[in-house]
Amino acid sequence: MLSCRGLRKDYVTERGEVAAVAGLDLEIATGRYAAIIGRSGSGKSSLMAMIGGLSRPSQGQVTVDGTDIWSLSENALAAFRNKRIGYVFQFASLLPTLRLVDNVALPAMLGGDAGSSATYARAAALLGQMGLGGHLDAYPSEVSAGEQRRAVIARALINEPALILADEPTSDLDEQTEIEIMDELLAVNRERGTTLILVTHNLALAEQAEQIVHIAHGAIVA
Amino acid sequence: MRLLASLALQNLGRRKARSLLLIMAVAVASGVVFTGATLMRSIDSSMAVGFTRLGADMMVVPEGALTNITAALLTVEPTDLVLDQDLFARAGIASVGRAAPQKIARVEHSGIDSHHDSVDLIGFDPALDFTVRPWLVEKINRDMRQGDVILGAAREAALGSELLIFGKPHTVYGRLGKTGVGTHERGVFMTFDTFEALAGSVHGHGGGPPAVLQKGKVSGFLVELAPGATPLQARFAILSTLKGVKVVTGDSTMSGIRQGLAALLNGILALMVLMFTSTALMVSVLFSAIVTERRGELGLLKAIGARRGQIVGMMVIEAVIATGAGGVLGVALGVLVMRLYERSLVYYLENIGVPFVWLDGPRIVVVAAAAVVMASIIGALGSFYPAWRASRRDPYDLVRGEG
Repeated sequence: MLSCRGLRKDYVTERGEVAAVAGLDLEIATGRYAAIIGRSGSGKSSLMAMIGGLSRPSQGQVTVDGTDIWSLSENALAAFRNKRIGYVFQFASLLPTLRLVDNVALPAMLGGDAGSSATYARAAALLGQMGLGGHLDAYPSEVSAGEQRRAVIARALINEPALILADEPTSDLDEQTEIEIMDELLAVNRERGTTLILVTHNLALAEQAEQIVHIAHGAIVA
Repeated sequence: MRLLASLALQNLGRRKARSLLLIMAVAVASGVVFTGATLMRSIDSSMAVGFTRLGADMMVVPEGALTNITAALLTVEPTDLVLDQDLFARAGIASVGRAAPQKIARVEHSGIDSHHDSVDLIGFDPALDFTVRPWLVEKINRDMRQGDVILGAAREAALGSELLIFGKPHTVYGRLGKTGVGTHERGVFMTFDTFEALAGSVHGHGGGPPAVLQKGKVSGFLVELAPGATPLQARFAILSTLKGVKVVTGDSTMSGIRQGLAALLNGILALMVLMFTSTALMVSVLFSAIVTERRGELGLLKAIGARRGQIVGMMVIEAVIATGAGGVLGVALGVLVMRLYERSLVYYLENIGVPFVWLDGPRIVVVAAAAVVMASIIGALGSFYPAWRASRRDPYDLVRGEG
């Protein structure tokens, strides 16, 4: 269960303090597919960053399966991100100097599973599931944007997280690739029971979700 | 650690030109420091030997004695006049640091050279001497004793071989290096005991043995000033305290040169410290830029679970690898420069009799290792703060290009 209580994020700008997320309460049940929608600047990504332990809230709590993640120490929060959350960003987020298989294995290695053959076997298997079995040794620049995004999904799954956070993961992809990527994410949600939270502009994608959270001006409107 | 080192290496490889420039910049600084430190220590040693070999600041001889100023500050000149050997010990002049007594007799028919050649026999006190022994280039591995002689550079004789002087056997104890001063080049040096034992064989102008062969009498003293004392102060002090003496001063620029070179070496040291500091600042500025450029990547690493220590570690290892490689390259360049130096200036200096004493091998290795370690430390220090500052930021801020 994911729970947000009184969640608030203020940014200091030249024009003063701006509330990106203004005291928001939210609950998403374990294993659900939830979509967060809203216009640009509505606070979707800021909310997602706070839920994922990427951006410290100005106020409020985020609880994942009973753990108040922002009360964790720096290292414990890093471990939490590493083990419990998988991220799929809206940009190509693979390290360019690493092969696809290294990129996928990286979270496991950072978590202390460094260099084990089992880690690499798992990374290869995940890339195979994403249809990239023939590109294990390829560098990110040697594959397409859609293939890169699939590799990112494989990386998000390497530590078998409880929660996948996907922030507009298909925004820069063509329609067909978008469908393929969403199929992969939904398959993960259905087959593994992993909670999937998707931030999107695309209402058609959001309509497939079990829970839709509509945000405007940092607050839930529907 | 292996993962961080691997990531660091890949990052360095990604920007080859920049990494190479960084390595070269550190190599130049390390090379200058390594070469500078080695040469400075070598010059320092050489100066110590050279200035010691340059002899005394002044000479005190009997009033009326003739002196040859060229040789004067290496040995006194042979005269018939003498002074008491304990003259300075009794006087206790504050501006005099050391006073080394010497006896000199210019003799013929000694059996050392051909029949009519004159030879300078020079007696010195090994306990007080500071002008003869610094020139020793080889010697028997024991203390000098009665019957031993030291030969000037122009004389050929094996160490330990026998040398007859007025028919008396003496042992060749050691040989001096080239001094360029005749007295030293062809002289035969011995202790006072050995010198005085020749009294029955040496004849002075009056037929009997010269006064200098008497026990307790010397030809003169070679004087080194006390630290901080000026030649003028010493001269006044000696002339007002000791009667019947003449003070002969050498080239006063020598002490000036000594002080000037010491100041120059300190200046070089300060420049090297400045150079290392500026390199550390350059590395820091460069890594600030690198961290800024790689905020997204660092944010991503944090997002997927990298701890702060891992972020800092990766950046510091990257810097240490680059600057350490620069340090190694700098030492290699420094060795090349020193080889050139050895084949040009050092060769020239040694040819004209100026000693140049290189640091010994183990010490050069220590200086080289210190240069590499310092270069690596510069990398670590220069990169630590930007990396530490970035590691404090939230991953989301870094991914968005803030912080």
